[in-house]
Amino acid sequence: MNLAIDASGIEKTFTKKKSIGELLRHPLRPAERVQALKGVDLQIRQGEIFGLLGPNGAGKTTLLKVLSCLILPDKGRVRILGIDTVHETQVKRLLGLVHSDERSFYWRLSARENLRFFARLYDLSGSAIDSRIDELLERVDMTEPADRPFSGYSSGMKQRVAIARALLHDPPILLMDEPTRSLDPVTAQKLRDYVLEKLKRRDGKTILLATHNLREAETMADRVAILASGTVQEVGTVDEVRRWGLSGERFTLEIEATGDTLRGPFEVLSEERVDGRRRVTVLIAEGQGFEDMLRSLLASGVRVRSCDRVEPDLEAAFGRILKNKGSEA
Amino acid sequence: MIRLLSKLYAFIRRDFLSMISYRLAFLLQVVGMFFSIAAFYFLTKMMDPESEGLDGIRPFEYLLVGLAFLSYFSTALYAFAAKIRQEQMMGTLEAMLVTPTPTSIVIFASAAWDFTWGAVRIFLYLLIAKLAFGLELHVNSLLALALGVVLTLLSSTGIGILSASFILYFTRGDPINFLLSGATTFLGSVFFPVEQLPQWLQGFSKLVPLSWSLRVVRGSLLQGKSLGELRTELLVLTGLTVVLLPVGLWASRFAIRKAKREGSLVQY
Repeated sequence: MNLAIDASGIEKTFTKKKSIGELLRHPLRPAERVQALKGVDLQIRQGEIFGLLGPNGAGKTTLLKVLSCLILPDKGRVRILGIDTVHETQVKRLLGLVHSDERSFYWRLSARENLRFFARLYDLSGSAIDSRIDELLERVDMTEPADRPFSGYSSGMKQRVAIARALLHDPPILLMDEPTRSLDPVTAQKLRDYVLEKLKRRDGKTILLATHNLREAETMADRVAILASGTVQEVGTVDEVRRWGLSGERFTLEIEATGDTLRGPFEVLSEERVDGRRRVTVLIAEGQGFEDMLRSLLASGVRVRSCDRVEPDLEAAFGRILKNKGSEA
Repeated sequence: MIRLLSKLYAFIRRDFLSMISYRLAFLLQVVGMFFSIAAFYFLTKMMDPESEGLDGIRPFEYLLVGLAFLSYFSTALYAFAAKIRQEQMMGTLEAMLVTPTPTSIVIFASAAWDFTWGAVRIFLYLLIAKLAFGLELHVNSLLALALGVVLTLLSSTGIGILSASFILYFTRGDPINFLLSGATTFLGSVFFPVEQLPQWLQGFSKLVPLSWSLRVVRGSLLQGKSLGELRTELLVLTGLTVVLLPVGLWASRFAIRKAKREGSLVQY
């Protein structure tokens, strides 16, 4: 298996800075320490979109900073396409970081001037810079406004320039930190389409997407990891993680309203009345068939109007995982 | 080397474009320089040109050169740390540090424009003073002047890097800057000749790097001294550079490593 990112046993603890007041009051008391990452293992395959999910303070941003060589881990090892991050310069050539922070640009300069500046930091040579920038501006649909000051761009335009910047040196791996955080729904969708269609399918980039937005991860990621309290709680395909902690299958039935209690090879999870009908959600245990459930209902005289399979959603799974791990701790 | 120059050019171009985007502020800076020079001119008219230590230099010229180079020295002292702080606050530092450009180059090149603009300001100071207030220059040895300026730049850079390293390491204000800028203003022969100070204080002036720079610059620019006449001062400046620059670079490597371990460069 070709791994784009291979992180093992990453630990990182930060020391909280003491204020002058604290220093004067308790000069000998050791500063408070916060363990942000507690042995993170993460393997991301080449060409996949990998969603890194987690609540605030889970350690997502710290992990991204470790992967992009901005912070040295206390323990553990990171390899990017097989190269250890101790070889910082080599590794940085393989990575592009898309910041969610609009402030990471020079607002008095235009998109083109910003990109020219960063292109030189990415070691692009003078003659190649302008043609590469033109190509990228066209790809992110920013050719026309490229010479206007950055301060006048909308959030969507700024985010597109951020993507162009991360692609300047054509890295095989992109790290995206909340890329749609400040975008309206239409612009966010356009950006997601661009990432899926162009960056993943056409260019074959590996993308690590750190996000709060579970719906975004659900629609974009091949696999996801749930990070909480500095550890990876669960890793798998979106479907595997969605089903985490669930056994059997769920169905919603709409049946004619009768007062009878439903009986059969299933468990009733919830029930409500909608437009004079009963809407019942049932759980069929592992090994039981959908046909057995229907047969038993029909045999007992229940008139079934509709039956839909309930797809487990990532948000509920996210909640289950965090709750379960919280209770384990 | 070409890559390094390309990056330096990128930083200088970036800051130049940012500066001229504030057109009025840029213009006001130049106008402000004119008024400062005018103020020095009339202020120094009250001073006695025969004062001890002036060695035949007119007070106006003495003060003008002192102030121009003090501002350059201050740039070297403050620019690195100030720029890093500014980039942190603007959110641009992280974007630079994820590039393959080494952190040390990001830190040093960030201040490249400040040095360039500082040099332009010195030139403008002298030009305005010459055109509007009859500044008399007697340059005999361009080499002595160039050496003086380059050695001043390098030794001050050493102190500046040392100071920035202190801030990176301790993430707090820097006593090096505080002590040096105070001592330099007072003992560096910027505003007045050191001979005006009480005898027991005069010796301390030799510990202030800028005092040696100003001897070379005033000697070559205003008194027409030759390279040979300024050799002692140039040797001292060379010595300061040989010590301060490597110490500053070593300290910065140490401090950057610690900042990366603690995450203090990208978390504030």
